Amino acid sequence: MDTKTTISRMLHSYFFVIGLICLIFIIISCYILPYWIPWEPLENSLLDKSLPPEFFRNGLSGHILGTDTLGRDVLIRLLIGGQYSFRLAFISVVLQAILGTVLGMLSGYFGGQVDSIIMRACDAIMAMPSLVLAIAIMAIFGPSTQNLIFVLTVSGWVQLCKIIRNNVRVVKQQEFVLASGILGASGFHIMFKQIFPNVTTNIIIITSQRMGFVILMEASLSFLNLGIPVPAPSWGNMIAAGRQYLVTQPWLIMAPGIALMLAVLAFNFLGDGIRDVLDTKRKV
Amino acid sequence: MSMAAATDATERSEQSEWETLLREEALLRVIGLRVEYRTERAVSKALNGVDLVIHKGESLGLVGETGAGKTTTALSILNLLAQDIAFLKEGYIEFDGKDVYKMSISELRAMRGGKISMIFQNPLTALNPVFTVGEQIALVLRIHKGMRNNEAMKRAGELLEMVGIPAYRIKEYPFQFSGGMRQRVGIAAGLACNPQLLIADEPTTALDVTIQAQILELMRELQKEYAASLLMITHNLGIISELCQRVAVMYAGRIIEYGLAEDVFASPKHPYTVGLLGALPALEGPWQPLAAIPGVIADAQNLPDGCAFHPRCDNCKPECRTEQPLMAHLGNRHFVACFQNGED
Amino acid sequence: MAEINGIHAEEREPLVQAKNLKKYFTVPRKGLLHAVDDVSLTIYPGETLGLVGESGCGKTTVGNVIMKIHPKTEGSIDYRGKDIFTEWTDKLELCKKMQMIFQDPYSSLNPKSTVLGILSEAFVIHKFGRKREITEKVKEICDLVSFPHNLLNRYPHELDGGMRQVVGIARALSLEADFIVCDEPVSSLDVSVQARIINLMMELQNKLGLSYLFISHDLSVVRHISKRIAIMYLGQIVETADTADIFANAMHPYSIALLSAIPRVKTASKISRIVLKGDVPSPLNPKPGCRFAPRCWMAKKDCMDTNQELTEVEPGHLVFCKYAAESQRIAKEEQTARTQ
Repeated sequence: MDTKTTISRMLHSYFFVIGLICLIFIIISCYILPYWIPWEPLENSLLDKSLPPEFFRNGLSGHILGTDTLGRDVLIRLLIGGQYSFRLAFISVVLQAILGTVLGMLSGYFGGQVDSIIMRACDAIMAMPSLVLAIAIMAIFGPSTQNLIFVLTVSGWVQLCKIIRNNVRVVKQQEFVLASGILGASGFHIMFKQIFPNVTTNIIIITSQRMGFVILMEASLSFLNLGIPVPAPSWGNMIAAGRQYLVTQPWLIMAPGIALMLAVLAFNFLGDGIRDVLDTKRKV
Repeated sequence: MSMAAATDATERSEQSEWETLLREEALLRVIGLRVEYRTERAVSKALNGVDLVIHKGESLGLVGETGAGKTTTALSILNLLAQDIAFLKEGYIEFDGKDVYKMSISELRAMRGGKISMIFQNPLTALNPVFTVGEQIALVLRIHKGMRNNEAMKRAGELLEMVGIPAYRIKEYPFQFSGGMRQRVGIAAGLACNPQLLIADEPTTALDVTIQAQILELMRELQKEYAASLLMITHNLGIISELCQRVAVMYAGRIIEYGLAEDVFASPKHPYTVGLLGALPALEGPWQPLAAIPGVIADAQNLPDGCAFHPRCDNCKPECRTEQPLMAHLGNRHFVACFQNGED
Repeated sequence: MAEINGIHAEEREPLVQAKNLKKYFTVPRKGLLHAVDDVSLTIYPGETLGLVGESGCGKTTVGNVIMKIHPKTEGSIDYRGKDIFTEWTDKLELCKKMQMIFQDPYSSLNPKSTVLGILSEAFVIHKFGRKREITEKVKEICDLVSFPHNLLNRYPHELDGGMRQVVGIARALSLEADFIVCDEPVSSLDVSVQARIINLMMELQNKLGLSYLFISHDLSVVRHISKRIAIMYLGQIVETADTADIFANAMHPYSIALLSAIPRVKTASKISRIVLKGDVPSPLNPKPGCRFAPRCWMAKKDCMDTNQELTEVEPGHLVFCKYAAESQRIAKEEQTARTQ
């Protein structure tokens, strides 16, 4: 596919366009907007506690989305929390992609014993609800960002691994792989020079779809106080903290809730969109 | 979608002989058929004015290479083109005196499978794997002949016997049959309603030579017995030469040569037909170098002006680049669409 | 063994020789699949041996075992007198001698690689040199097969079937191999394109002195390109002879039936067609006796239980049937009866 058709397919996919616009909006907000906001995420002021959102009544220097029970600005916590979430999800998804791809390739290419071992490991992880697994690990090792990334990665690589494995098994049957072997290529060469380029499309599609899932998972864990340790702002933490004040101060939950929904939707749309764009068999 | 296009063509004269042929009493008449496939990237002109007649009891071979439009022609006849991507631009198809594209849904249903039946290339995918072959043949009979189940199953057994499969196998599933046997089942199902026209789309391409010989033998016998018309679609010139009375050669969505099979194969006139026969390695006689046709098959997304074959033709004249040649009569109902009438 | 492929007196060094090659596959719960059963072949330098048979007869397996894609079960394969399994120990060295052309020009080229990438691969694997040198080398090969240089940066799906097969041929020639296994190289191509590929292959053979093992189901193509033909049925070679000999005097009942079964254009001489009954049986756990006997049009009682032997009926013409002479006589008689 040349650049021109790729762009044309991108523009024709509503999912892709909507997802991309949402994502750009969220990322710009999270990473650039904080420069103009005069508050710090951990700066509390009991004088200003539990202020309702004043929107833009006082411009950027007011508490646009109000403050929480400790007088911290909700908006800046939301944006910085978003940064945390994105960084975390990104690292975890990259690790998942590496782990899933390498194991999937090995499993599909070698088959036999290697395949059995890797596939049974996948089955074992899939049999465990990922939330329960996460709770168990966090309970043993204690909540920390590293552990959170570890948990998210361990429970997340399986899907990619299985798909890549099946993909490799199909590609391996094709005659160009045989031809490469006849030219004298080593297994390593065949795996990475011949087969790998044929599975990259799937890797991109699946990892982009997983971003949303990982963000949601991180929020769930943080909500259960098993995620990013408080007082660091994260959407899950914010929802957890706001839960008690649901009736009196609904903005404490509304803001991170909507942000979470928007981010997950953006990634899911983008994932579907990327699938539409890259999957040439699919009509856009 | 009417005779208007055809009448215009008559006024352009010259084609009168061909016109006469097209206007004759016939079982199937296809006039000026144009079909386009539209995908997101491009429009491909699959058929560019196909004229075809099949008389009662006649067998016509439609020959051409990949992308010539053979299968599209067959699907258009049955009004079975994929509606989201294929568009009938122009043309008129008449079966048994009725315009196929003006038929009601019930008339269409009665026609498909009842009056026209089709045999497909891949006998495995053409049969439903979850029903026994008996049930599948009986289904056709129940729908089109209104037979009761017992009666239909009995008839299905008879049909299987006729194509050389023991009747007790009606209770077996398609996967229990070999490729050749499945194609026999396909033929039995195709003949179930005594169709007036049988369309066979590459029925033996997926089969081995010795099995192909069995199927061809069977089709020849059945043709004698049933006197149904046959439209045989294939790329194999040998099959047409053995099974068909007439042959129509297709190139880039047009019929470029039409005539009795003996005439066309003995003295092909269109440079494409000549090339096709020259490119075929011989099975007898002295060794001769193969004369490959230069260039590549015309791209349906980007058809050349004038005669679609001119970029590959050795004998290309200025008019070939700009004008479409019409069908010229060479005697004995042998027609060729070439300005040189096939002469150098 | 020298006379097995019909070379008598003439002392030529065979290029590739397979002796009593066997390849069995174990099918779980069903037994042994005799894909190739005692096949001997000889290919001389600069010659083409056509290996013909229907699907499932084991002709592709023969090619694959010769290319070491599958391990053999028994027998030996020599390249220039040295066994490829035991004596040619350097795998990369053998790759430079024996190459393969595949059937499907769609799946035999990596869809994610440009033509340049596909043709460079051999040189990258064999550490030929730097990128520029490799590109030069690729261009030389393109000239050899007359593949236009301006298409080098295209992807396979942007080429038509014929051009793709040209790339496949170029790849097989890139290491200057002199023996090439061609597994149905033209059967997925249209007639006009097929002719061009066959012509190219024959031209290259003349120019470079290549030897081909040409595997195909299409007898007319094999007749055109091969000097000798071996006809296979259910894992065994039933008849081997010079091409002209096979077409003029086929002796094995299967060969006769196969030849008569091909639909012909312009039948100058009327052919009496022998239509074989039934399908090719499965090569799983074959029974003793002649494997063709159940479908044979002139099977005798003893065909079912005694083993046939490959006998040389004429110099260079080997037939795997006791009643070969009789079957030929019957076929000839019927032929004359038909023409009269």
